[in-house]
Amino acid sequence: MKSSRRIAIAGLAALATAASLAACSPTPAATTADGKVDLRVVSLIPGSDQKAFDAFDAQVEQFEKANPDIHVTSEEYEWTGPTFAAQLAGGTLPDVFTIPFTDVQTLIANGQLADLTDEVNGLDYAASFNPNVLAVSSDAGGRIFGVPTAAYGNALHYNRALFEQAGLDPDSPPTTWDEVRADAKTIAEKTGKAGYATMTQNNTGGWQLAVATYARGGRLETVHGDTVTVTADNTGTKAALEYLHTLRWDDDAMGNNFLLDWGTINQAFGAGEIGMYTSGSDIYTNLVQAQKLDPATYGLTTLPLEGADAGVLTGGTVAAVNIKADDAHRAAAVKWIDFYYMQKLVNQDAAVLDAKTLSESDQPVGVPALPIFDQATLDTSREWVKDYINVPQDQVQFFLDGIFDQPILPEPKAHTQELYAALDNVVQAVLTDENADIDSLLTRVNTDVQALVDADA
Amino acid sequence: MTTTELRPGADAPIAAVLPDGSAPPRRRRRGSPLVLLRGGLATLVFLVPMLVVFGVFSWYPIVQAAIMSLQKTNLVTDPTWVGLANFVTVLKNPDTWVALRNTGWFALLALLFGYPVPLVAAVLMSEVRRLRGLFTALAYLPVVVPPVVAVLLWKFFYDANPTGVFNTVLGWVGIPPQPWIQNAVAAMPSLVVEATWAAAGGTVIIYLAALTSVPPELYDAAEVDGAGLWRKIQHVTLPQLRGVLFVTLILQVIGTAQVFLEPFLFTGGGPNNSTLTILLLVYRYAFQNSLGGDYGAATALSLVLAVLLAVLSIVYFRITRRWSS
Amino acid sequence: MTIARPRRRVQPRLVRPRLVEPEDRGIASAADRRRPVVRRSYRALHGILLVLLVVVGLGPILWLFKAAVTPTQDTLRDPMGLFPHGVDLQNLVTAWTEVHIDVQFVNTIWIALGSWAVQILVATTAGYVLSVLRPRIARVLNGMVLATLFVPAIVLLVPLYLVVLHPPLIGQSMLNTFWAVWLPAGANAFNILLVTRFFDSLPREVFEAARTDGAGPFRLFWSIVLPMSKPILGVVSVFAVIAAWKDYLWPLLVLRDPAVQPLSVRLPTLQKAIELDVYLAALAISTLIPIVLFLVFQRLILRGAGLGGAVKG
Repeated sequence: MKSSRRIAIAGLAALATAASLAACSPTPAATTADGKVDLRVVSLIPGSDQKAFDAFDAQVEQFEKANPDIHVTSEEYEWTGPTFAAQLAGGTLPDVFTIPFTDVQTLIANGQLADLTDEVNGLDYAASFNPNVLAVSSDAGGRIFGVPTAAYGNALHYNRALFEQAGLDPDSPPTTWDEVRADAKTIAEKTGKAGYATMTQNNTGGWQLAVATYARGGRLETVHGDTVTVTADNTGTKAALEYLHTLRWDDDAMGNNFLLDWGTINQAFGAGEIGMYTSGSDIYTNLVQAQKLDPATYGLTTLPLEGADAGVLTGGTVAAVNIKADDAHRAAAVKWIDFYYMQKLVNQDAAVLDAKTLSESDQPVGVPALPIFDQATLDTSREWVKDYINVPQDQVQFFLDGIFDQPILPEPKAHTQELYAALDNVVQAVLTDENADIDSLLTRVNTDVQALVDADA
Repeated sequence: MTTTELRPGADAPIAAVLPDGSAPPRRRRRGSPLVLLRGGLATLVFLVPMLVVFGVFSWYPIVQAAIMSLQKTNLVTDPTWVGLANFVTVLKNPDTWVALRNTGWFALLALLFGYPVPLVAAVLMSEVRRLRGLFTALAYLPVVVPPVVAVLLWKFFYDANPTGVFNTVLGWVGIPPQPWIQNAVAAMPSLVVEATWAAAGGTVIIYLAALTSVPPELYDAAEVDGAGLWRKIQHVTLPQLRGVLFVTLILQVIGTAQVFLEPFLFTGGGPNNSTLTILLLVYRYAFQNSLGGDYGAATALSLVLAVLLAVLSIVYFRITRRWSS
Repeated sequence: MTIARPRRRVQPRLVRPRLVEPEDRGIASAADRRRPVVRRSYRALHGILLVLLVVVGLGPILWLFKAAVTPTQDTLRDPMGLFPHGVDLQNLVTAWTEVHIDVQFVNTIWIALGSWAVQILVATTAGYVLSVLRPRIARVLNGMVLATLFVPAIVLLVPLYLVVLHPPLIGQSMLNTFWAVWLPAGANAFNILLVTRFFDSLPREVFEAARTDGAGPFRLFWSIVLPMSKPILGVVSVFAVIAAWKDYLWPLLVLRDPAVQPLSVRLPTLQKAIELDVYLAALAISTLIPIVLFLVFQRLILRGAGLGGAVKG
């Protein structure tokens, strides 16, 4: 019976599919048919424009030419909490990926990152890393689990066009929080746009509240020996929240939309909806690549610092390698990290080639950053590529002139993400509820996060 | 029987909407003679898809869920048994109660907005003689829009600036700009309005199907008794719809209790957790932290929700059975 | 709107529901309708209803199509204006060719088709066993299937994720493959319930006759039961396709690679990464095709939704 056989086959389809599954799933460490090492790396964040991807592909080509035994497969990537958690749990992270400074130590402790000590020590610039920066990606015993590739300081970004429309001088940006407030108010009154904005969602609200806290001399956690005390109710944080409250409710200078995170605030800024906001000094790349920002409207200056222990919250990116990578993949991975992330910082030819590739496809060259090695190395590398620099330098000069005199501070260490998540709510409450009780909100954050910290002990 | 007869009463809600509307046939004493015919192997072959798919993707994960709710596990380090500690953690977390309240509020608003409107629309539409197709198509159109697109589009409509889409329209009639989703009080109703827009068409079609299968004889009989239009609706139409109304009500409650897409995409649970729902909280437990989630707590909270919904359904069916008999 | 007359085939007449078909009469009798008061208020009410339906049902969609071809700044400054600075068709081209939503578009179709195939396969075979073949364990199986109705999908989120990560027997992770969406979609108790109850209502005499003619269980399934089941398969199909469209959380978790993501997962990611006008164009494209499909299969879809809708909500 012909039909019955067809049914039998259909009935068994579910089993048959099982067999074919093996054929279509990606394997974490693989070699291609011709014996090359197939290296999976992360490329750019989703939605970056085609020219950026073209520039990336060109660099992959250069790398493969120099390393004929390696084949590079790239996938777009943006580090966010939920996506990273799922990839980590699912074991779907590529061979090389990037993570923020704050996550590195826990990932090392959980055995999630490959030990790169031997490979990294084989690089000729290994000894010249700023020790404080390299410590971010090393364990207590000095084993290295990742390569710091970039560091940023938080800074004040402003829209020069809105400053001009409001009758303000874009060449004299505010230097105190009072001046920020006055300018924000003027911009809001004259242009109808948000004079000042801040992130509030997906942990970025807490992150930027930490920035504002540090800038006023406060700290969210204090460490004595092994004991971590959560101090979300410190005077710096309170001052920062009261400041936001004033701008929002007294001055009406923060616009009408308050649910913003890293991407959406960049988008709003790129669309000319925001006068000023604080974020990492390196976001120019995203503003240009994804948000189509008109470079002429961009301005960058240092954060106002007020109070005794005030400082700039910094952060950065570490390139790490999947724990599942075998020796061949690990070696290839460090080669890629060296080529793609590091050579442009330490090698003149590579720096020039990188800058040329980027500038030819209209990608930003010369984005303000903090040194991974030392100030001299950073200055030299900028000197090499000065012909290609297309980030309008005079518009970011206030930042470049000021940042190296500002004290640099790391993010809070214990349960950073939970702390930030809890603070998101506080920032949202202050911006959307005129009667928000700042003291009791902060006390609750203290209790909740302290409970998590204590549970570890 | 050539017409669909909707049997009133919720005691057999599923039978009420079966194609022939008949009660399920009484089980014959263990199978038809067909079982004996070519029994074993063929039966087995036909069973394979269900056994594999349900076994692997339903029954096994259900058992897993029960186990995980008793463990501390983040999928990275080894799981450890913690007894009922996850349930304690979840129930002691004040956010759980916020989420429960918000979810209840969403469900209630969804009923207030989404229950009467489609009913009135369907009753009116059932009386349309010409262009019925146009009416139904228009009503159903929003259901066809992919839900994610609908939310993202409405998120843009809800722009709180005076130049936002809705605020512009309000400006035409002299109403000042509203904060929509940017305000803890207004956020939830805004979400519900979008959800109702997206779903009401489906409900209209269901009611319409039920309405058109009300036996005409009942109206004829009512007219003989001298009933006017309004009394016919009151004494014939609505009672005939009772079965469908009961079922859609509980299904809507169960559905809205699991709301995720709207708060996730509109507000991320904000402002200040005013749109945090149970499902969003489960998601946060499991996937918010990049360093590995608390999957035990996530499963424990889902089980709490499951038990709540099961109890609710049982109580509901008990009550409605009494009403409808 | 009329439904095609039943063709002469082995199609039980009892499963012809009168659904969106205009009735011989409604609530108002012919006599009612002749009364001027009733006629006028009916006309007014229907007019108002039609206007409301156009504004509410069609309005937002028309706005989207307008915004899709409007430059960003016009949409931001004057969202209700009609092309103050002209039309920009380039948005649509950019969304399709540069942002590559064509990839996710095809993925969406694959996901819908695969989910549909798995659901139909599981529901029909299971329904056949539970309703027609009825082995001794049918009762137990039926109970186990129905029991899953009471477990909200959310409970399975995490354990199901683990299963997809490490499927039993296969061992090879299904993450970032369509199977991760297709196979769990098949475990749908509503489908089995619908199909089983439908099969229950089929006349047993036909089966007996077929058996007397020497038809085995496979032939009975393929040549008798399935052809008689078109109405219910239509219902299940409509649900399967709509559910595949709607699904968000699950594909978001298991399809992390943009190359296999459906539109529903990709669009929120793009929201903050591409310019507003191109983004709205992408939304418009994602809406256009379902609407076209709806208009083409309107009758089937509305009938399916009305029939099974009450069960599934």
